[in-house]
Amino acid sequence: MPAHHPAPELLLDYAAGSLRAVQSLLIAAHLAYCPDCRAQVAELEACGGVLLADLPPEPVSDSLFGTLMTRLDTTAATPPPVPPPAGTSLFPGPLRRAIGAEPEALDWVRVVPGVHLSAWGVSAGTASACLLRMAPGSRVPAHRHTDSEMLLVMKGGFSDEFGAYRVGDVASYDTGTPHHAVADADGECLCLLVQDQPLVFTGPLGWLLNRGFRF
Amino acid sequence: MLPKADSNDPTMPDHEQLLLAVARNRDSTAFRALFDHFAPRIKAYMRRLGADGSAAEELVQDVMMAVWLRADRFDPALASASTWIYTIARNRRIDRVRQERRPELQPEDLMADGGEEPTPDHQFEAAETAFRLRAVIGNLPPEQADVLRLAYYEDKVHAEISAERGIPLGTVKTRLRLALVRLRRAFGEGA
Repeated sequence: MPAHHPAPELLLDYAAGSLRAVQSLLIAAHLAYCPDCRAQVAELEACGGVLLADLPPEPVSDSLFGTLMTRLDTTAATPPPVPPPAGTSLFPGPLRRAIGAEPEALDWVRVVPGVHLSAWGVSAGTASACLLRMAPGSRVPAHRHTDSEMLLVMKGGFSDEFGAYRVGDVASYDTGTPHHAVADADGECLCLLVQDQPLVFTGPLGWLLNRGFRF
Repeated sequence: MLPKADSNDPTMPDHEQLLLAVARNRDSTAFRALFDHFAPRIKAYMRRLGADGSAAEELVQDVMMAVWLRADRFDPALASASTWIYTIARNRRIDRVRQERRPELQPEDLMADGGEEPTPDHQFEAAETAFRLRAVIGNLPPEQADVLRLAYYEDKVHAEISAERGIPLGTVKTRLRLALVRLRRAFGEGA
Protein backbone atom coordinates (compact mmCIF):
# COMPACT_ATOMS: atom_id res chain seq x y z
CA MET A 1 0.00 0.00 0.00
CA PRO A 2 1.36 3.47 -0.86
CA ALA A 3 2.95 5.48 1.96
CA HIS A 4 2.80 8.92 0.31
CA HIS A 5 -0.56 10.29 -0.75
CA PRO A 6 -1.90 13.35 -2.57
CA ALA A 7 -2.92 16.26 -0.34
CA PRO A 8 -6.44 15.68 1.07
CA GLU A 9 -7.75 18.85 -0.57
CA LEU A 10 -6.77 17.44 -3.97
CA LEU A 11 -8.91 14.37 -3.26
CA LEU A 12 -11.73 16.77 -2.41
CA ASP A 13 -11.25 18.74 -5.64
CA TYR A 14 -11.22 15.44 -7.54
CA ALA A 15 -14.40 14.15 -5.88
CA ALA A 16 -16.11 17.53 -6.28
CA GLY A 17 -15.24 17.60 -9.97
CA SER A 18 -13.41 20.93 -9.83
CA LEU A 19 -9.93 19.47 -10.33
CA ARG A 20 -8.74 19.90 -13.90
CA ALA A 21 -8.03 17.01 -16.24
CA VAL A 22 -4.23 16.90 -15.93
CA GLN A 23 -4.18 16.73 -12.14
CA SER A 24 -7.21 14.41 -12.16
CA LEU A 25 -5.22 11.98 -14.27
CA LEU A 26 -2.58 11.67 -11.56
CA ILE A 27 -5.17 11.30 -8.79
CA ALA A 28 -7.14 8.64 -10.72
CA ALA A 29 -3.89 6.78 -11.43
CA HIS A 30 -2.89 6.90 -7.74
CA LEU A 31 -6.32 5.52 -6.77
CA ALA A 32 -5.55 2.38 -8.77
CA TYR A 33 -2.81 1.66 -6.20
CA CYS A 34 -4.32 3.05 -3.02
CA PRO A 35 -7.29 1.55 -1.14
CA ASP A 36 -7.11 4.32 1.49
CA CYS A 37 -7.51 7.14 -1.01
CA ARG A 38 -10.21 5.19 -2.84
CA ALA A 39 -12.13 5.03 0.43
CA GLN A 40 -11.63 8.76 1.01
CA VAL A 41 -12.84 9.63 -2.48
CA ALA A 42 -15.88 7.38 -1.97
CA GLU A 43 -16.65 9.31 1.22
CA LEU A 44 -16.27 12.66 -0.51
CA GLU A 45 -18.53 11.46 -3.31
CA ALA A 46 -21.09 10.49 -0.65
CA CYS A 47 -20.78 14.07 0.53
CA GLY A 48 -21.52 15.19 -3.06
CA GLY A 49 -24.54 12.88 -3.04
CA VAL A 50 -25.90 14.51 0.10
CA LEU A 51 -25.30 17.99 -1.28
CA LEU A 52 -27.10 17.00 -4.50
CA ALA A 53 -30.04 15.50 -2.64
CA ASP A 54 -30.36 18.65 -0.50
CA LEU A 55 -30.35 21.20 -3.32
CA PRO A 56 -33.62 23.10 -3.64
CA PRO A 57 -35.24 21.36 -6.65
CA GLU A 58 -35.74 23.36 -9.85
CA PRO A 59 -38.82 22.23 -11.79
CA VAL A 60 -38.07 20.70 -15.18
CA SER A 61 -40.20 21.12 -18.31
CA ASP A 62 -43.30 18.95 -18.40
CA SER A 63 -42.17 17.41 -21.68
CA LEU A 64 -38.73 16.40 -20.43
CA PHE A 65 -39.62 12.91 -19.26
CA GLY A 66 -41.41 12.12 -22.53
CA THR A 67 -38.49 13.41 -24.58
CA LEU A 68 -36.14 11.30 -22.52
CA MET A 69 -38.19 8.13 -22.97
CA THR A 70 -38.33 8.72 -26.73
CA ARG A 71 -34.56 9.05 -26.80
CA LEU A 72 -34.19 5.90 -24.74
CA ASP A 73 -36.45 3.96 -27.13
CA THR A 74 -34.15 4.83 -30.00
CA THR A 75 -30.93 4.19 -28.08
CA ALA A 76 -29.55 0.70 -28.12
CA ALA A 77 -28.21 -0.37 -24.77
CA THR A 78 -24.46 0.01 -24.84
CA PRO A 79 -22.69 -3.21 -23.97
CA PRO A 80 -20.48 -2.87 -20.93
CA PRO A 81 -16.88 -2.16 -21.90
CA VAL A 82 -14.74 -5.26 -22.16
CA PRO A 83 -12.07 -5.00 -19.48
CA PRO A 84 -8.57 -5.50 -20.84
CA PRO A 85 -6.72 -8.52 -19.51
CA ALA A 86 -5.40 -7.65 -16.07
CA GLY A 87 -1.72 -7.35 -15.37
CA THR A 88 -0.62 -6.75 -18.93
CA SER A 89 0.17 -3.05 -18.56
CA LEU A 90 2.70 -1.19 -16.50
CA PHE A 91 0.37 1.80 -16.50
CA PRO A 92 -2.66 2.11 -14.24
CA GLY A 93 -5.91 2.09 -16.21
CA PRO A 94 -6.67 5.84 -16.32
CA LEU A 95 -3.18 6.58 -17.64
CA ARG A 96 -3.22 3.63 -20.05
CA ARG A 97 -6.40 5.00 -21.59
CA ALA A 98 -4.92 8.51 -21.80
CA ILE A 99 -1.68 7.37 -23.46
CA GLY A 100 -2.88 4.43 -25.50
CA ALA A 101 0.58 2.82 -25.61
CA GLU A 102 3.06 1.04 -23.36
CA PRO A 103 6.35 2.69 -22.25
CA GLU A 104 8.47 0.77 -24.76
CA ALA A 105 6.35 2.09 -27.62
CA LEU A 106 6.84 5.74 -26.63
CA ASP A 107 9.45 8.23 -27.80
CA TRP A 108 11.74 9.65 -25.12
CA VAL A 109 13.76 12.85 -24.91
CA ARG A 110 17.01 12.80 -22.94
CA VAL A 111 17.33 15.55 -20.32
CA VAL A 112 20.67 14.49 -18.84
CA PRO A 113 22.34 11.07 -19.05
CA GLY A 114 20.01 8.49 -17.54
CA VAL A 115 17.03 10.84 -17.27
CA HIS A 116 14.39 10.94 -19.99
CA LEU A 117 11.03 12.61 -20.49
CA SER A 118 8.36 11.14 -22.73
CA ALA A 119 7.49 12.87 -25.94
CA TRP A 120 3.92 12.01 -24.94
CA GLY A 121 2.35 14.68 -22.83
CA VAL A 122 -0.92 16.42 -22.11
CA SER A 123 -1.50 19.97 -21.03
CA ALA A 124 -4.44 22.12 -20.09
CA GLY A 125 -4.13 25.71 -18.97
CA THR A 126 -0.88 26.08 -17.04
CA ALA A 127 -0.72 22.39 -16.08
CA SER A 128 1.03 19.67 -18.00
CA ALA A 129 1.82 16.00 -17.59
CA CYS A 130 4.41 13.70 -19.10
CA LEU A 131 6.39 10.64 -18.05
CA LEU A 132 9.79 10.73 -16.35
CA ARG A 133 12.15 7.79 -16.70
CA MET A 134 15.29 7.48 -14.59
CA ALA A 135 18.02 4.87 -15.05
CA PRO A 136 19.15 3.06 -11.87
CA GLY A 137 20.94 5.48 -9.56
CA SER A 138 20.58 8.47 -11.87
CA ARG A 139 20.01 11.99 -10.60
CA VAL A 140 17.56 14.59 -11.81
CA PRO A 141 19.37 17.96 -11.96
CA ALA A 142 18.57 20.19 -8.98
CA HIS A 143 15.71 22.44 -9.84
CA ARG A 144 13.27 24.70 -8.13
CA HIS A 145 9.69 25.18 -9.09
CA THR A 146 7.81 28.26 -10.06
CA ASP A 147 4.70 26.27 -9.25
CA SER A 148 3.70 22.93 -7.82
CA GLU A 149 4.86 19.52 -9.01
CA MET A 150 3.63 16.01 -8.35
CA LEU A 151 5.22 12.68 -9.22
CA LEU A 152 3.47 9.31 -9.17
CA VAL A 153 5.84 6.34 -9.09
CA MET A 154 4.73 3.49 -11.38
CA LYS A 155 7.91 1.40 -11.45
CA GLY A 156 11.00 1.28 -9.24
CA GLY A 157 11.53 4.10 -6.78
CA PHE A 158 13.45 7.28 -5.99
CA SER A 159 14.52 9.30 -2.98
CA ASP A 160 15.09 12.96 -2.23
CA GLU A 161 15.58 15.07 0.87
CA PHE A 162 11.88 14.63 1.73
CA GLY A 163 11.57 10.87 1.59
CA ALA A 164 11.72 7.61 -0.33
CA TYR A 165 9.02 6.90 -2.88
CA ARG A 166 7.90 3.52 -4.17
CA VAL A 167 5.29 2.25 -6.62
CA GLY A 168 1.96 3.99 -6.05
CA ASP A 169 3.45 6.82 -3.97
CA VAL A 170 2.81 10.46 -4.81
CA ALA A 171 5.56 13.01 -4.13
CA SER A 172 4.32 16.61 -3.95
CA TYR A 173 6.47 19.73 -4.14
CA ASP A 174 5.26 23.22 -3.50
CA THR A 175 6.28 26.30 -5.36
CA GLY A 176 9.91 27.20 -4.79
CA THR A 177 10.94 23.92 -3.14
CA PRO A 178 14.32 22.71 -4.39
CA HIS A 179 14.79 18.97 -4.38
CA HIS A 180 17.32 16.43 -5.60
CA ALA A 181 15.74 13.20 -6.78
CA VAL A 182 17.92 10.10 -7.09
CA ALA A 183 16.56 6.92 -8.63
CA ASP A 184 16.94 3.72 -6.62
CA ALA A 185 20.05 1.78 -7.58
CA ASP A 186 18.30 -1.54 -8.16
CA GLY A 187 16.22 -0.70 -11.21
CA GLU A 188 14.73 1.80 -13.57
CA CYS A 189 12.23 4.28 -12.14
CA LEU A 190 9.19 5.38 -14.13
CA CYS A 191 6.95 8.22 -12.95
CA LEU A 192 4.02 10.29 -14.08
CA LEU A 193 5.08 13.93 -13.72
CA VAL A 194 2.48 16.69 -13.34
CA GLN A 195 3.51 20.31 -13.19
CA ASP A 196 1.65 23.53 -13.01
CA GLN A 197 4.34 25.81 -14.48
CA PRO A 198 7.66 25.43 -16.30
CA LEU A 199 10.61 24.50 -14.09
CA VAL A 200 13.63 26.68 -13.42
CA PHE A 201 16.86 24.70 -13.09
CA THR A 202 19.28 25.99 -10.48
CA GLY A 203 22.36 23.78 -10.93
CA PRO A 204 25.49 24.51 -12.99
CA LEU A 205 23.81 23.28 -16.16
CA GLY A 206 20.58 24.97 -15.28
CA TRP A 207 20.85 27.86 -17.72
CA LEU A 208 21.34 25.40 -20.55
CA LEU A 209 18.44 23.20 -19.52
CA ASN A 210 16.20 26.19 -19.10
CA ARG A 211 16.93 27.20 -22.67
CA GLY A 212 16.46 23.79 -24.17
CA PHE A 213 13.60 22.41 -22.17
CA ARG A 214 10.28 23.76 -21.20
CA PHE A 215 8.73 20.73 -19.65
CA MET B 1 -33.34 -2.91 5.58
CA LEU B 2 -32.38 0.44 4.19
CA PRO B 3 -33.82 3.53 5.80
CA LYS B 4 -36.39 5.42 3.79
CA ALA B 5 -34.81 7.95 1.47
CA ASP B 6 -37.79 10.23 1.69
CA SER B 7 -38.75 10.46 5.33
CA ASN B 8 -41.83 12.50 4.46
CA ASP B 9 -43.51 9.62 2.70
CA PRO B 10 -43.31 6.26 4.45
CA THR B 11 -45.04 4.45 1.56
CA MET B 12 -42.32 5.48 -0.88
CA PRO B 13 -39.73 2.78 -1.65
CA ASP B 14 -36.26 4.17 -1.13
CA HIS B 15 -34.21 5.27 -4.09
CA GLU B 16 -31.81 2.37 -3.84
CA GLN B 17 -34.68 -0.08 -4.27
CA LEU B 18 -35.99 1.92 -7.22
CA LEU B 19 -32.59 1.77 -8.91
CA LEU B 20 -32.38 -1.97 -8.35
CA ALA B 21 -35.85 -2.36 -9.87
CA VAL B 22 -34.68 -0.44 -12.94
CA ALA B 23 -31.59 -2.63 -13.16
CA ARG B 24 -33.37 -5.95 -12.73
CA ASN B 25 -36.73 -5.43 -14.38
CA ARG B 26 -36.33 -2.34 -16.57
CA ASP B 27 -39.10 -1.00 -14.34
CA SER B 28 -40.29 2.22 -15.95
CA THR B 29 -42.54 3.15 -13.03
CA ALA B 30 -39.53 3.02 -10.72
CA PHE B 31 -37.57 5.04 -13.28
CA ARG B 32 -40.32 7.66 -13.39
CA ALA B 33 -40.17 7.96 -9.60
CA LEU B 34 -36.40 8.39 -9.74
CA PHE B 35 -36.79 10.98 -12.46
CA ASP B 36 -39.37 12.95 -10.49
CA HIS B 37 -37.07 13.07 -7.50
CA PHE B 38 -33.67 13.56 -9.08
CA ALA B 39 -34.28 15.49 -12.33
CA PRO B 40 -35.13 18.79 -10.53
CA ARG B 41 -32.08 18.35 -8.29
CA ILE B 42 -29.74 17.55 -11.17
CA LYS B 43 -31.10 20.63 -12.92
CA ALA B 44 -30.41 22.73 -9.83
CA TYR B 45 -26.89 21.31 -9.64
CA MET B 46 -26.18 22.16 -13.29
CA ARG B 47 -27.65 25.64 -12.90
CA ARG B 48 -25.45 26.30 -9.86
CA LEU B 49 -22.47 25.31 -11.94
CA GLY B 50 -23.36 27.86 -14.60
CA ALA B 51 -25.56 26.04 -17.15
CA ASP B 52 -28.53 28.01 -18.49
CA GLY B 53 -32.01 26.48 -18.28
CA SER B 54 -31.98 24.57 -21.57
CA ALA B 55 -28.37 23.38 -21.22
CA ALA B 56 -29.21 22.21 -17.71
CA GLU B 57 -32.19 20.21 -19.02
CA GLU B 58 -30.00 18.69 -21.75
CA LEU B 59 -27.63 17.55 -19.03
CA VAL B 60 -30.55 16.22 -16.95
CA GLN B 61 -31.52 14.07 -19.95
CA ASP B 62 -27.94 12.85 -20.37
CA VAL B 63 -27.65 11.93 -16.71
CA MET B 64 -31.02 10.19 -16.49
CA MET B 65 -30.29 8.28 -19.71
CA ALA B 66 -27.08 7.04 -18.13
CA VAL B 67 -29.04 6.08 -14.99
CA TRP B 68 -31.38 3.95 -17.13
CA LEU B 69 -28.65 2.41 -19.27
CA ARG B 70 -26.14 1.73 -16.49
CA ALA B 71 -28.43 0.87 -13.59
CA ASP B 72 -26.99 -2.65 -13.54
CA ARG B 73 -23.67 -1.19 -12.36
CA PHE B 74 -25.25 0.41 -9.29
CA ASP B 75 -24.12 -1.37 -6.11
CA PRO B 76 -25.96 -0.27 -2.95
CA ALA B 77 -23.10 -1.63 -0.81
CA LEU B 78 -20.76 0.95 -2.35
CA ALA B 79 -22.88 4.06 -2.73
CA SER B 80 -26.33 5.46 -2.03
CA ALA B 81 -28.56 6.25 -4.99
CA SER B 82 -27.91 9.99 -4.69
CA THR B 83 -24.14 9.44 -4.46
CA TRP B 84 -24.16 7.24 -7.55
CA ILE B 85 -26.28 9.73 -9.48
CA TYR B 86 -24.09 12.57 -8.23
CA THR B 87 -20.98 10.96 -9.74
CA ILE B 88 -22.76 10.53 -13.08
CA ALA B 89 -23.94 14.17 -13.03
CA ARG B 90 -20.46 15.43 -12.11
CA ASN B 91 -18.82 13.43 -14.90
CA ARG B 92 -21.38 14.31 -17.57
CA ARG B 93 -21.00 17.98 -16.75
CA ILE B 94 -17.22 17.80 -17.05
CA ASP B 95 -17.42 15.91 -20.34
CA ARG B 96 -20.00 18.24 -21.84
CA VAL B 97 -19.23 21.68 -20.44
CA ARG B 98 -15.46 21.55 -20.14
CA GLN B 99 -15.03 19.38 -23.21
CA GLU B 100 -12.70 17.28 -21.13
CA ARG B 101 -12.76 13.58 -20.59
CA ARG B 102 -12.66 13.01 -16.87
CA PRO B 103 -9.99 10.43 -15.99
CA GLU B 104 -11.98 7.87 -14.03
CA LEU B 105 -10.90 4.80 -12.15
CA GLN B 106 -12.72 1.72 -13.46
CA PRO B 107 -13.32 -1.31 -11.25
CA GLU B 108 -10.89 -3.37 -13.32
CA ASP B 109 -8.11 -0.78 -12.90
CA LEU B 110 -6.98 -1.82 -9.44
CA MET B 111 -3.29 -2.65 -9.56
CA ALA B 112 -2.20 -6.06 -8.32
CA ASP B 113 0.31 -4.61 -5.87
CA GLY B 114 -2.02 -1.99 -4.43
CA GLY B 115 -5.45 -3.39 -5.01
CA GLU B 116 -6.31 -4.79 -1.62
CA GLU B 117 -10.00 -4.84 -1.02
CA PRO B 118 -11.25 -2.18 1.36
CA THR B 119 -11.08 -3.29 4.97
CA PRO B 120 -14.44 -3.82 6.71
CA ASP B 121 -14.02 -0.35 8.25
CA HIS B 122 -14.48 1.13 4.81
CA GLN B 123 -17.58 -0.85 3.96
CA PHE B 124 -20.46 1.28 5.03
CA GLU B 125 -24.17 1.12 4.76
CA ALA B 126 -24.44 3.85 2.19
CA ALA B 127 -27.88 5.21 2.94
CA GLU B 128 -27.34 5.27 6.70
CA THR B 129 -24.03 7.00 6.20
CA ALA B 130 -25.73 9.61 4.03
CA PHE B 131 -28.04 10.29 6.94
CA ARG B 132 -25.13 10.88 9.34
CA LEU B 133 -23.24 12.84 6.70
CA ARG B 134 -26.16 15.19 6.27
CA ALA B 135 -26.09 15.96 9.97
CA VAL B 136 -22.34 16.61 9.88
CA ILE B 137 -22.61 18.94 6.88
CA GLY B 138 -25.50 20.77 8.50
CA ASN B 139 -23.44 21.38 11.63
CA LEU B 140 -20.21 22.52 9.97
CA PRO B 141 -19.00 25.96 11.05
CA PRO B 142 -20.06 28.47 8.35
CA GLU B 143 -16.53 29.08 7.06
CA GLN B 144 -15.96 25.34 6.58
CA ALA B 145 -19.35 24.81 4.93
CA ASP B 146 -18.57 27.72 2.62
CA VAL B 147 -15.33 26.26 1.21
CA LEU B 148 -17.03 22.88 0.82
CA ARG B 149 -19.94 24.31 -1.13
CA LEU B 150 -17.62 26.35 -3.35
CA ALA B 151 -15.74 23.17 -4.24
CA TYR B 152 -18.85 21.15 -5.08
CA TYR B 153 -21.17 23.79 -6.49
CA GLU B 154 -18.97 26.40 -8.09
CA ASP B 155 -16.27 24.38 -9.78
CA LYS B 156 -13.57 26.04 -7.72
CA VAL B 157 -10.35 24.28 -6.80
CA HIS B 158 -9.00 25.34 -3.42
CA ALA B 159 -6.51 27.78 -4.98
CA GLU B 160 -9.38 29.56 -6.73
CA ILE B 161 -11.41 29.66 -3.52
CA SER B 162 -8.46 31.42 -1.92
CA ALA B 163 -8.35 34.04 -4.67
CA GLU B 164 -12.10 34.55 -4.80
CA ARG B 165 -12.64 34.84 -1.08
CA GLY B 166 -9.46 36.84 -0.53
CA ILE B 167 -8.28 34.45 2.16
CA PRO B 168 -4.80 32.92 2.22
CA LEU B 169 -4.38 29.53 0.57
CA GLY B 170 -3.15 28.06 3.85
CA THR B 171 -6.38 29.15 5.53
CA VAL B 172 -8.49 27.54 2.80
CA LYS B 173 -6.54 24.32 3.17
CA THR B 174 -6.94 24.40 6.94
CA ARG B 175 -10.70 24.92 6.65
CA LEU B 176 -11.04 22.15 4.10
CA ARG B 177 -8.98 19.76 6.18
CA LEU B 178 -11.00 20.54 9.31
CA ALA B 179 -14.19 19.95 7.33
CA LEU B 180 -12.78 16.67 6.01
CA VAL B 181 -11.95 15.48 9.53
CA ARG B 182 -15.55 16.13 10.57
CA LEU B 183 -16.91 14.42 7.46
CA ARG B 184 -14.79 11.35 8.13
CA ARG B 185 -16.40 11.04 11.55
CA ALA B 186 -19.68 10.36 9.78
CA PHE B 187 -18.00 7.22 8.46
CA GLY B 188 -16.86 6.18 11.89
CA GLU B 189 -13.28 7.28 11.33
CA GLY B 190 -10.97 10.09 12.30
CA ALA B 191 -12.76 10.73 15.59
